[in-house]
Amino acid sequence: MAERLPKPGHFVNTQAKISNRYKRDMMEGNHLSRSIISSLLSCRHMKVLTFAWDYPPETTGGLGMACHGLVSELGAYCDITFVLPRRQRVSPSRCNFIFADVLESTTKSETNVTVGTYSQSDTVVRYYSQKLEKMIYGPLFEAARAFADRAHVIAQTANHDLIHAHDWSSYLAGMAAKAASGKPLVIHVHATAYDQAGGGSVDPQIFAIEQHAFAVADSIAVVSNYTKTILVERYCVDPEKIEVVYNGAEVSTPIYYEPSLCELKAAGKRIVLYHGRITIQKGLDHLIRAARLVVDTDPNVLFIVSGSGDMEAQIMQQVGELGLSENVRFAGALWYEERDRMYQSADLVVMPSVSEPFGLVPLEAIRYGTPVIVSKQSGVAEVLQHALKVDFWDVEEMANKILAASRYPIMYEQLKRESTLELLKVTWHRAAEVVRSLYEKLTTKLQQTFA
Amino acid sequence: MISICPYLHVHQPYRVKRYRVFDIGREKEYFNDESATDLNNRFIVEKVAEKSYRPMNALLEELLAAHPEFCFSLSFSGTVLDQFEAWAPDVLESFQRIIATGRVEVLADTYHHSLAFFYSVPEFERQVTKHEERVQELFGYTPRVFRNTELSYRNDLAKWCEDHGYLGIMAEGWDPLLGWRSPNFVYRPKGTDTIKVLLKNYKLSDDLAFRFGNQGWESWPLSTETYSEWVHSHHGNAQTINLFMDYETFGEHQWSDTGIFDFWRSFPGTVMSDGETTFKTATQTVESYEAMGEFDSPDILTWADTDRDLTAWVGNDIQNDAIATIYRMEEDVMALGKPDLTEIWRKLQTSDHFYYMCTKYWADGDVHAYFSPYESPYDAYIAYMNAVSDLQLRIQEAKRAQATTTPAHAVAATAPRTKQEGWLLALWRRLHTWLKQRWEKVQASINRT
Repeated sequence: MAERLPKPGHFVNTQAKISNRYKRDMMEGNHLSRSIISSLLSCRHMKVLTFAWDYPPETTGGLGMACHGLVSELGAYCDITFVLPRRQRVSPSRCNFIFADVLESTTKSETNVTVGTYSQSDTVVRYYSQKLEKMIYGPLFEAARAFADRAHVIAQTANHDLIHAHDWSSYLAGMAAKAASGKPLVIHVHATAYDQAGGGSVDPQIFAIEQHAFAVADSIAVVSNYTKTILVERYCVDPEKIEVVYNGAEVSTPIYYEPSLCELKAAGKRIVLYHGRITIQKGLDHLIRAARLVVDTDPNVLFIVSGSGDMEAQIMQQVGELGLSENVRFAGALWYEERDRMYQSADLVVMPSVSEPFGLVPLEAIRYGTPVIVSKQSGVAEVLQHALKVDFWDVEEMANKILAASRYPIMYEQLKRESTLELLKVTWHRAAEVVRSLYEKLTTKLQQTFA
Repeated sequence: MISICPYLHVHQPYRVKRYRVFDIGREKEYFNDESATDLNNRFIVEKVAEKSYRPMNALLEELLAAHPEFCFSLSFSGTVLDQFEAWAPDVLESFQRIIATGRVEVLADTYHHSLAFFYSVPEFERQVTKHEERVQELFGYTPRVFRNTELSYRNDLAKWCEDHGYLGIMAEGWDPLLGWRSPNFVYRPKGTDTIKVLLKNYKLSDDLAFRFGNQGWESWPLSTETYSEWVHSHHGNAQTINLFMDYETFGEHQWSDTGIFDFWRSFPGTVMSDGETTFKTATQTVESYEAMGEFDSPDILTWADTDRDLTAWVGNDIQNDAIATIYRMEEDVMALGKPDLTEIWRKLQTSDHFYYMCTKYWADGDVHAYFSPYESPYDAYIAYMNAVSDLQLRIQEAKRAQATTTPAHAVAATAPRTKQEGWLLALWRRLHTWLKQRWEKVQASINRT
């Protein structure tokens, strides 16, 4: 992925974008589809001010990738001004960038603000030690508040019809912008404090920000029906206000590496991979309990854990207590090539999350041709039909399905083939279509109010 | 003058419970789910009895009493009859009363609602015989018209039915096979001489079975007057209107609050009010009309989906694997001849098991999802295959046990127990050797020429 620093006030040719869209539609056979007409008529004037905390290539975590994916499709319909809290490198995208910290002189050094790439994205495992993670809270709230102050200024000067704020760290900024310009605000929920807590106690500060933002927002985009339910039940949000926008998946052909773990596979072992942070939210402890049942029936199943986190010691102890040291291996946190090789080599990838708003890991695994078991308490379970699904707490069923996947090769092959095909339908284009109609709904509502 | 031939299909399968891999070899019951979910067979039968069987049977009795011309046909799977007997005997009795009026015909079927004809004709024949015996036992009636599972049909099935004395057979009135012709006539299956085929008018049937309660449908709400007009519009260009549907359409697929019972209550009276329309059972229909032409279905035709083929049951790899696995066991099961194992094996042949594994159109959350008690086709497959694996173990075990006891049995069977038996045995042996010699001679002469 090429990287560059955009010029200030980088000009976007709307006309060119529409003609690109037109070309694509012609290729797809949607001659003069409604989308082009409405692009020509309305969206040309729609200017969106978007706030988010991070953006690739500085991060490869879920939030940044999601923003990038969405913008790359949505940019065809609207003029997007993307506001980031600090100056950073950005991947080529269909939008203008504004870096909030460039607007005014700041005494804080950039490194100080960087602390804000907080723990919600998986990247934290790579970037920060656990010690730092614990210190994040103080400076992060401060940084979020500073971001909001600057958002207020930006909203007063930048011309826009709509405000779109991604994830709780930008909610304050989104609300500040709305206060400044009075334009409709879309809150995009990628995760909630409840997901983080994994059934434990919720961070009251984040919860307060979320609840306030949900009340102020004109519309709320969530990444799954699962998250929608949390918003309705825990935050008492009006379901009418919520729109489900499923994330898209990276579908480009992956690089194939030399297979690894060959000796183990040659010895007849079946590899079950867990990849993700080792925290209460991710539910690894349930998978380990299932592993005991699996190994009792079929000792040739080997579990590999890739990741790290605050529950690591606890999980290792659990493995010892259950006498599973032979069958559960800890690989540390694997990234990039190592991770992708593991996705390819594994026979099955399990995501046993206790609460997962969406969940990128299964999609990544499928991209490498590996079938998945996902917890029903995840958003991704709603878009994947050709995946095995379990309740995270149903350890017996989890074990049953892990065993069934190795016991019934015809089902395994069908899962593998069909899920790869299914992945092609989980696109950012689909997500952008939903967001666009949401934008249209909000702006027409506004026009009607004025009329 | 046209006649209406309504036929309602009554069926419930034995659904496999959530049978897990580690239950194999330990748990012998596959169908006894006791949760409050749709996997609990008893729970379903009781629920559907309340919603559909009891109110509908009461209504049918009422209509039979009110309209002397009103008649219709029913078909039952053996599995639903067994479940009625066990959990809703009053429902079974009400069916017996209805059939005792003599104006309700019972059709022939496979006992286990299976697709056996397409996988093993001998097994299919055994199931048809078992079904016939059961219908005779419960209703004192020998069916004369055949309907196969899911209305599946092929030319050779029609031929089989003709060879086995049936007067008629039922099939889907599918346009691609009919061409410009109408399903509202009686046809002759290709390759047969006497049997006739009755074709479902899927437009009018599905108006009730699928569309009746759909508020987005242009004809909603459907009145008996409108529907009768649609039937009457065929006057002069039809012999029979074949309305084939699931019995559970009334009260279960279409809930009582859609008005389906009120619709059906007034339907016979309204439709017959023109004096030109009447009702006939399947046998009456077949006997009343001459075949208008030939119906040719070289490939399997069913009443499902927009494809009208078997792909809802055997359209993907897991379905094909599951059904192939169960029929591969036939030889072993038959050789063993253990009634309990045979019965379990047959319960696992019921077509519904494979339907639950269907992934076609699944993403749209359509009719397949509605009819499945499992959360996913893969869940259905895993539970099914686990149960089959256990059955395979039991069969192997029984075979081993039999192998160790067989010599003793064999001796006991061949050793004469009485003088008479000994004499007969000797005679038989002499006859056998003589026949064998003759046969060898004949073969030798054939070889020479």
